[in-house]
Amino acid sequence: MYHDKKFSVINPSKMCQPMGAIQALLGIKDTIPLIHGSQGCSTYMRFQLTRHFREPIEVASTSMNEKTVIYGGEFNLLKALKNITEKQSPSLIAVTSSCLTETIGDDMAGIIKKFEDANIGKELPIIIPISTPSYAGTHIEGYDNTIKALVEYLSTPSRANGKINIIIGNNSPADVKEIKALLTELNCESIILTDNSENLDAPLSESALNLYNEGTTIEEIKDTANSLGTISLSKHADSAGVLLEKKFGVKSISGPLPAGLENTDRFISSLCKFDEFEVPESIEKDRGRLMDAMVDAHSYNYRRKVAIFGDPDFVSGMTNFTSEMGMTPTILCTGVESKRFNEDINLISEKKGLNPTILASGDLYDLHHKIKEKPVDILIGNSYGASIAQEENIPLFRAGFPIFDRLGAQRISVLGYNGGINFVDEITNTILDYYYDEAGYEITEEESHESTRSGLFAEEEV
Amino acid sequence: MRILEVLHMEPKIESIIDTFESRKKHMCIKGDDISIPDCNKATLPGTVTQRTCVFGGARIVLMPITDSLHLIHGPIGCASCTWDIRGSKSSRSNLYKKGCSTDMGEKDIIFGGERKLFETIIELNKLYNPGAIFVYATCVSGVIGDDIKAVCKKSEEITGIRIVPVQSEGFQDYNKTKGHWIGCDALLDYVIGTKELEKTTPYDINIVGEFNVAGDLWGIKPLFKEMGVNIISTITGDSYVDEIAQAHGAKLNIVQCQKSSNYLADKMEKKYGIPSIKVNFFGIKQTINSLRDVADFFDDEEMMERTEEIIKSGLNDVEHKIEEYKERLTGKTVALYVGGNKAWSLVRAFEELGMDVIMSGTKNGMKEDYERIKDTVRDGTVIVDDANSNELALLLKKYQPNLLISGAKEKYISLKLGIPFCDFNHDRISAFAGFNGFISFAKEVDASVSSPVFDLTSKKLMEQ
Repeated sequence: MYHDKKFSVINPSKMCQPMGAIQALLGIKDTIPLIHGSQGCSTYMRFQLTRHFREPIEVASTSMNEKTVIYGGEFNLLKALKNITEKQSPSLIAVTSSCLTETIGDDMAGIIKKFEDANIGKELPIIIPISTPSYAGTHIEGYDNTIKALVEYLSTPSRANGKINIIIGNNSPADVKEIKALLTELNCESIILTDNSENLDAPLSESALNLYNEGTTIEEIKDTANSLGTISLSKHADSAGVLLEKKFGVKSISGPLPAGLENTDRFISSLCKFDEFEVPESIEKDRGRLMDAMVDAHSYNYRRKVAIFGDPDFVSGMTNFTSEMGMTPTILCTGVESKRFNEDINLISEKKGLNPTILASGDLYDLHHKIKEKPVDILIGNSYGASIAQEENIPLFRAGFPIFDRLGAQRISVLGYNGGINFVDEITNTILDYYYDEAGYEITEEESHESTRSGLFAEEEV
Repeated sequence: MRILEVLHMEPKIESIIDTFESRKKHMCIKGDDISIPDCNKATLPGTVTQRTCVFGGARIVLMPITDSLHLIHGPIGCASCTWDIRGSKSSRSNLYKKGCSTDMGEKDIIFGGERKLFETIIELNKLYNPGAIFVYATCVSGVIGDDIKAVCKKSEEITGIRIVPVQSEGFQDYNKTKGHWIGCDALLDYVIGTKELEKTTPYDINIVGEFNVAGDLWGIKPLFKEMGVNIISTITGDSYVDEIAQAHGAKLNIVQCQKSSNYLADKMEKKYGIPSIKVNFFGIKQTINSLRDVADFFDDEEMMERTEEIIKSGLNDVEHKIEEYKERLTGKTVALYVGGNKAWSLVRAFEELGMDVIMSGTKNGMKEDYERIKDTVRDGTVIVDDANSNELALLLKKYQPNLLISGAKEKYISLKLGIPFCDFNHDRISAFAGFNGFISFAKEVDASVSSPVFDLTSKKLMEQ
């Protein structure tokens, strides 16, 4: 069977830039994300987001059509800005481009200027153009470009605020909550870029249907120029931090993702570089509980081979975490081509004595074939891994985006000490479910052969 | 009746909810002198549209061909947001579930993506040896002028399998129905009629516009088998491309999703002289009528007798099994916001559960769709075209139905308002077609409407 693949992407492990932009924008208060492109862009992204978060997701579209493609998208963009301003009057309209409007060369900044000039004297929302061509980079760059554009347009130096900017990256509302709780306990005032913790995990209420009442405010984004420093939890989302450092001398630290004991320790010591925080007993206790959980679980996890796929910082963060637990990260896959990712993994491998296969710019086809070559005990990643897990008869621990075949994606937490405790308990229980019997004994080779499911993949390949 | 009160209170010309001036004509209340809402208009820029693109329209029509690969020629997003969106089931191959993309990058935009497309097709053929490869154009591949037809032709010569170009540039139209037609055209131009029928019977049919969502087809197929009708192909649910290639040999096309597939049936009638009848397997009476219509077409005494037997036993089973649900559902109200076909075809099915449709709308309906809706619903029913998410929320708040039937994007709008919801689109979990399907349908509607969780949604913490 021919396996080598050079040209096609089969079952992608990445999305396009506008998706990353929307993920960032859903954490901002009173804002409308507007995709300048075909209707399908906003509709399919909303479909993905809504089935993951199980929340209504509002993304407007300029609904380009054949005529506007020929004559340029100015008419539709102007009309969209007018309609949004009149009907919803948000504080901010964030206009992201698409492959279509980038290719036909629409000058979004120019069109926005035209709109503003035509409405002088009227109260207008702030309108920011964000260039997110879908044919360049991935959702990772889309997220990064968006936070950078927001900061670039809005940040204004005034008085020092004593706060720390935290660029969250594409993490779950539960993770954001956990980071915020950690900061509160440290008595650290912060600006969260962006805070999706309420918007994407909203109580059952009509207010979830209107413009977001919660999330990062415009004022906060403006104030980022006056902070003590910036920490980007994801290294691949740190452009805004770099910009703030260059422009306003606000020091910036990139990563690592605070997943697991060591990385969360590093996050706290990074914070302490900016100010003298006293670590309260409550945090020491949570940290102790995470250690306790890891010790309780160690014998089930030791040398369990794990494959991890998803966003680069998620994969490197979880590589470090699972190896702390005694597992053996064996195959690491991300859809993005990234030097930093490779460096991170090499560094962790050296430190921990690992020798993983790295699939950078890989897809799930590559991942699956690698798993066939180098079998693993458990797979960590989003719902698209379910068919691989089923065919290989291994469990899938769901984390990342999108997760649509289980409930509670918005409440999956792996960050900080408490997220770490969740993760250790849940992944160990998953391993217990799969590899141990009801009396707690490890299922032997003989027993497991009987229950091996023959997968469709196997049939297809023969 | 709440609706009639509202009708009384407000003059008809006035909009039923607060919205843009140009959108007011897109919703109306059925009454004596009221016709149909304005429709088939470009989406208002800046709204949160529930519509999708032409590419999406073509993809959902063709994707259920299970032994084929569906290759998206465009940047990665077009594939990664749509590769698993259709809940079509397969009894054989799983190839169609793969998300294939040429992953066009900056270089391809500048220098053209034809070379990459060609290499990708050749590679995919080597990897999987599929029945066919459908190649979809996207916005960008269209704008830069990649000639996908030429590439497909060339690769077909080399691979020896069908490589089918689908000219589905997303921006072509605001109405995804155009995408459905483009999908149908690809079948007409490159698949149907390319293989001679292996064996013929006097009772050969195609089931057109049935996509086997959640296994719908499997509720219908056994009924036809019992009748003695021979199914050559389903277009496209649970199909192999070779079967569709023989579809021109049928004596009759039966059309389930008329929105997407009347177009195909009409063209097949012109090209091959195959007559078609419209069927509908959602609901008891409609299932019965559809079976009888097919038997009548063949004008075969024995088949008619067998059909009556099937109906009798099906009916017996259904009536008994839905009794419990019907008891709880009678008198409850429903709002439909669905693809064109279901906006009228589900109305009767709900009546059979004792429920009352008080609103019916579609995202992409044309004039003839609204005519049919108008003819089907009773006076006082709200008819709405292309409601954006804000309008939908306002309509639900105003009319407070006991249930909304719609798709994934609408689900949480409804649930946040405390209004029960049931998916009748790609994401539904059970098959609803035929007699057995109707039982599942009743069960699922009951599970939404009668769940006690919705009694809690209006309770306050300190109320007791």
